[in-house]
Amino acid sequence: MKTGVSVFPALVLLVMTSSLAQADAAAGQAAFESNGCQSCHYTQGPATEKTIADQLAKKGPELWYAGSKFQRPWLEAWLADPQPIRSMKFNSVMEPNPGGHAVLSADQVGPVADYLMSLRSDMVVDGAVKVKKKNLKGKLIFIKKMPCSGCHQFPTKKKFSGGLSGPSLIGAGERLNPDWILAYLREPKVFKPVKMMPVFVGVLSDKDMKNVAAHVATFK
Amino acid sequence: MTRLFLIALLIVALGPVFTGAAQAADGKALFGFYCAQCHGTEGEGDGPNVTGDFPVDPRNFTETAEMEKISDADIRNVIIDGGPIADKSPMMPPWGKTLTDAEIEALVGYLRQLCNCTGKTG
Repeated sequence: MKTGVSVFPALVLLVMTSSLAQADAAAGQAAFESNGCQSCHYTQGPATEKTIADQLAKKGPELWYAGSKFQRPWLEAWLADPQPIRSMKFNSVMEPNPGGHAVLSADQVGPVADYLMSLRSDMVVDGAVKVKKKNLKGKLIFIKKMPCSGCHQFPTKKKFSGGLSGPSLIGAGERLNPDWILAYLREPKVFKPVKMMPVFVGVLSDKDMKNVAAHVATFK
Repeated sequence: MTRLFLIALLIVALGPVFTGAAQAADGKALFGFYCAQCHGTEGEGDGPNVTGDFPVDPRNFTETAEMEKISDADIRNVIIDGGPIADKSPMMPPWGKTLTDAEIEALVGYLRQLCNCTGKTG
């Protein structure tokens, strides 16, 4: 009985916390829509792009799996101070990213982060990638065997290196969920049916993909 | 009625012309989306990825003399399997799992437009 008494307030607290998060996600969705974010970012999956023209018609990255892709602390910090992730403008090969992404008011950042974190894909398996300080097999694939570094900036001992057409992977360890990186390599067409990055399914083994995801997760 | 018939006749007559133009545009669109990242929008090997860090020089497809030395099959193989299949850099990715056969053929055709050459046969 004594245990029952102490468990009850904990349960009430849990229910309250969970409904508060839902309330914040709902407020976040309202803020997302009132700021017009959906005019560039779609939030309803699954992806429907079929052609290059479909992809080029998009004005910004899709966010329907944002909660599976991003890490919450990074997302909140980025929403408060959005800086370019890709050197080039979205969908462009030649035009530099001008920056200047819309900024939310301080009271909207938390709820919008709650909303975006509620958008999840069941293709992402929690805990599939084991992240350690180093993953030398993944590093070898990333730098030497495969062309990843040709398009993605990444941190090096000196500073950073890599190409400009893909999203920068500097700080990817704080930005991306390692399990999403793996899911994206395994099922690229689920997330981005038409994209400038090659499909590595059938090129890399599942083990190689896990190593690459674990290596990218070490990027500071 | 006669006018309608003439319009219909014109559409039928010009159909192949429009289809041909659409195919050529397709190769160009594919090139701009996938290849220009490294090879540049004009195919001169100077895409945005070619910074000081880039370990090799992506091929300049407008160099007719160089492009004459390789066959369509050579181009096709490198697009499908990547640079290493021709002892070239792995910076050229394998696109075989990304592109359809028709898209690869359109790209081969577009590269031949860029070099204004036919390449060696066989």
